[in-house]
Amino acid sequence: MIKFFRLMTAVLGLVATAAHAQLTVEITGAGANRIPVAIANFAGEGLLPQALTGVVRADLERSGLFKMIDPGPAQVPENAAIDLNQWKDRGADALALASILPVPGGRYEVRMRLYDIARQNKPDGMIFVFAPATMRETGHRIADFIYEKMTGEKGVFSTRIAYVSKSAGRFELKVDDADGQNPRTALRSTEPIISPAWSPDGSRLAYVSFQAKKPIIYVHSLATGAQTVVANFKGSNSAPAWAPDGKRLAIVLTKDGSSQIYTINVDGSGLNRVVSSSAIDTEPQFSPDGQFIYFTSDRGGSPQIYRVPAGGGNPERVTFEGSYNVTPRLSPDGKSLAYVTRNGGRFQIASMDLASRQVQILTDSSRDESPSFAPNGRMIIYASEIGGRGVLSAVSADGRVRQKLSGQAGGDVREPAWGPFNQP
Amino acid sequence: MQARNGVAAALAALFLIAAPARAALFDDDIARQRIEDLRADTKARIDALTQKLEQSQRMQGDLGNQIESLRGEIAKLRGQVEVLTYELEAATKRQKDFYLDLDNRLRVLETQPAKPAAAAEPAVDPAAEPRDYEAALNLLKGGKYPEAQVAFENFIKAWPKSNFQPAAHYWAASAAFQTKAYSRAAELYQQLYAQWPADVRAPEALIGLANTQQVQGDAKGAKKTLETVVAQYPGTSSADTARQRLKQMASKK
Amino acid sequence: MRTPTKITLAALTLAVLAGCSSTGPEQPAAPTEDKKPATPSTGGATGAPVTQPQVGAKQMTPEEALLAQLKDPNSPLSKRIVYFDYDSYAIKDSYAPIISAHAKFLIANPKFRMLIQGNTDERGSREYNLALGQKRAEAVKRALMLLGVNEAQIESVSLGEEKPRMMGTDEASYAENRRSEILYSGEY
Repeated sequence: MIKFFRLMTAVLGLVATAAHAQLTVEITGAGANRIPVAIANFAGEGLLPQALTGVVRADLERSGLFKMIDPGPAQVPENAAIDLNQWKDRGADALALASILPVPGGRYEVRMRLYDIARQNKPDGMIFVFAPATMRETGHRIADFIYEKMTGEKGVFSTRIAYVSKSAGRFELKVDDADGQNPRTALRSTEPIISPAWSPDGSRLAYVSFQAKKPIIYVHSLATGAQTVVANFKGSNSAPAWAPDGKRLAIVLTKDGSSQIYTINVDGSGLNRVVSSSAIDTEPQFSPDGQFIYFTSDRGGSPQIYRVPAGGGNPERVTFEGSYNVTPRLSPDGKSLAYVTRNGGRFQIASMDLASRQVQILTDSSRDESPSFAPNGRMIIYASEIGGRGVLSAVSADGRVRQKLSGQAGGDVREPAWGPFNQP
Repeated sequence: MQARNGVAAALAALFLIAAPARAALFDDDIARQRIEDLRADTKARIDALTQKLEQSQRMQGDLGNQIESLRGEIAKLRGQVEVLTYELEAATKRQKDFYLDLDNRLRVLETQPAKPAAAAEPAVDPAAEPRDYEAALNLLKGGKYPEAQVAFENFIKAWPKSNFQPAAHYWAASAAFQTKAYSRAAELYQQLYAQWPADVRAPEALIGLANTQQVQGDAKGAKKTLETVVAQYPGTSSADTARQRLKQMASKK
Repeated sequence: MRTPTKITLAALTLAVLAGCSSTGPEQPAAPTEDKKPATPSTGGATGAPVTQPQVGAKQMTPEEALLAQLKDPNSPLSKRIVYFDYDSYAIKDSYAPIISAHAKFLIANPKFRMLIQGNTDERGSREYNLALGQKRAEAVKRALMLLGVNEAQIESVSLGEEKPRMMGTDEASYAENRRSEILYSGEY
């Protein structure tokens, strides 16, 4: 245990490097005021195949919002009598204690108590019963609990990320846990896969595959692995985006010439044209309230972001700065818009406060694409390039915290899509 | 090509029909001549048609190019209209904001001479009190000290029961000090200390008082005032300031 | 940025018509052989499957002659790529002879089909590039139709930035990837 802990402190900030990691998450920039938290080693942890405490600490650390205070090597049960002043002196704003107990059926119960030392709130507690197979998931839920109590917003440690990996001419649509662990392959193909999009309930992924030598939109059920065709019209079928109700998709078809935006039911029925122009209209995205569809169009001579009422109507331009603004992505609260902007020849992720129209460039690299908000709106994951290789990166919505998610050696990773909270 | 094939067929048919009757009706030469004529005529017609087709296709091509060109131009113009409309809206809004700000400032200045009349019938507008205070504060922030002093003095008279009274005294005194109206500044600082000794600004008022005493040449009075701060408001930053000032005064002697 | 398709159509039209009358009668109209079956119509789709030439008997000789013509490096028909400027889908003047040659061929051989694939360089959004590639393919298709080619003979698709010819990240590679490629029946 002591040895393990030393290891933990040694790799501070360089976490989730276990053998099953598909993506390695590394913090490359942290928030200015990280909350100091002490998480004592969970009592009874030796019962488990792997240390649960490590999962919780790694999650919190990786968020860039927490700083781990060394709790010492002792395992402290959740109901231990403790001297909070002593922890305060060590600099901890919060202290988490937990015990793990075996329960019938080969399962375990974890009881956790969280002391909010800085704000002197009454301690909060939680109890989870879990099977050994869901140990990591339980760790993420404990981390989510601590995150929410300390920051006031929901944690995203239990969420998943879909992306496309490419190596040796093979394309795979993958789904990882938010910490890059537990990778699953939803689809393999020798032709490109692009634009994965999560259904609002997290049960399905819509995507575009070139398997049939041209782009066709499919929906993949994560539970059953079944793929169904949503749109296979003459020409290209691309850029699927779910409506908040999960029943319809906004898509782009070229059946009448240039790329135009339609809505369609998930079963492929009820096709309806949303806007029409002789220019390029693509990359539709519903606002979280379902009222508007944001999209990219070059109707004004250069690609810019517009929005139109979801039922159709007059498009209204949203971006005005610069001559290349594409890939609109609304924050979960609908208040800000992330997109890709060309900034002096470099492609970067920008964010616009929709009320004030204030724009902030969030990244400083030059080949950034495909932004996708975490469901709590705190982080934005995006595709970038380092040394000619596709990597995923994440940046906090305020631009302060930065993470790099590297794929396995030799491969490209791209087209990230951060899954929703409520996952089956 | 279609037309050409058709004509060829017609010619052949004509030839076949004409053949049996040839000997009976015409000389070979005449027949040949007629066929030649017909052929020349048909060729002329085909040439004319081909020319027309060429011309119309050329026109169509030109039109296609023009439409593409216009479409590009229209897109550019549309983009410019979008940007200009947006900029105009932003400029209009900014102008309106400037106007409102200016209007607010002017109103404060314009109501100044009407002060005695205002005293007669104080308007009962609950928003007026903080608004007046804010307006006076904005003048101060803008460096308009004489106007700020007047505005705060008016406020002190207009809102005798206001919670802003100590603050208004403090700022009126500060504004007076800036306009070198030292006696009036001293008076206001003293009033603040006397009436609201527990107010957070009271020790700062005494520091201000000491400043006015100092610039008026009353070093002794200043020293006494600073000592009061140290004695009565221990542990405040004002006490620290007072202590420092006392030290400075001592070293100057 | 977007200059109109300034093909000198007057010249083109003449050339097409001339070609039309000269090749007219000996048109063999041999059935073409498809190396691949028509686009697989994936179950449940409501889309119309793309029609392709029927697989026919093997009368290869005139067919082979035509295919050879398409591949003859001395023939403008062997030139199959139209390059574009960055973020543009306007066809440059210099491609007029190539487009005119292909138009002539299609008019003379109505059984032949053409697939135009639009491509972009890798910079920017994949979806926007897919749309841009579509515009590039459409631009070539429209130019051919203006020269009298039957629309049913031409299909335009986009491959976006997914099928680069050059993998580099320099302007030379990017320029090589901003293109529309012309393929005939039997070549796709």
